[in-house]
Amino acid sequence: MKAMYLVNYFVAGCIASSLLGWIASLHPMSFRAIAFLAAAAFILWGLCWLLDFSVSGWLKISVQNLQALLMAGLAVSIIGVGVFLCS
Amino acid sequence: MQLKMFVLSGAALILWLAPLTTLDKKVGWHKSMQGLSLGAAVACAVSAGNIARKLAEESEIDELKTRAIKADVVDEIGVSVYVSQQQRQQEAELILASPRLDVEENRKALEAIYSSDLQDTASASEHPDYPIYLEVCKSREAGKSPTWIVENVLKMGGRKFSEGKAKLQDLLNQFEGEDND
Repeated sequence: MKAMYLVNYFVAGCIASSLLGWIASLHPMSFRAIAFLAAAAFILWGLCWLLDFSVSGWLKISVQNLQALLMAGLAVSIIGVGVFLCS
Repeated sequence: MQLKMFVLSGAALILWLAPLTTLDKKVGWHKSMQGLSLGAAVACAVSAGNIARKLAEESEIDELKTRAIKADVVDEIGVSVYVSQQQRQQEAELILASPRLDVEENRKALEAIYSSDLQDTASASEHPDYPIYLEVCKSREAGKSPTWIVENVLKMGGRKFSEGKAKLQDLLNQFEGEDND
């Protein structure tokens, strides 16, 4: 059942990522806003990788769990945007 | 609950993929339908995730409960075995402490205790009057009279003497009868 709940949250992340892609396709301004949001998220993602020990202590989770979360986040955004662009 | 979770998961997947693949992005109302379905799909997936998390927590608690019950049962068995062993040891000590019994009788008595079936041992030794009977045996072997036994072992002297004598007879009938059986 734990796997099921992780899968559900993963799918929710993918759909949210597709929704952001859809918002970006509505208007050039919204595209810029989403692009800025994506760039900020990517910078934050890279910083989390660099400062993984400090961030894991701050979030009170293990380093392995943090790395798994970061990988899952990357996969979620790639799958979500990929599905939206390919459709 | 599980059915609801699976239905919500399926709905989320369908609402995510179906409008994106079937509807045209260039048509206005198609595009708005896509947005709506994506929003609904996110809601469905998050609700399904919440239900699944709740179920996972419940199953974890059930597992913990089962483990606790098993541990409790094992502990109870351990305690009962320990108590039974202590009782046997006390009985053996009482028999060995009696002065006029010869070695062969001691051996037979101990053998009777240890070789008897657990059920039989439990029925005789768990009787509340059994320790009194052992005291009576010890006193008889020491050459004490029934009057002395009634007054000093059963503590039923004076007005209760006749009652005590009857109790002594009952004890002897009960446990010696069982021994003969």
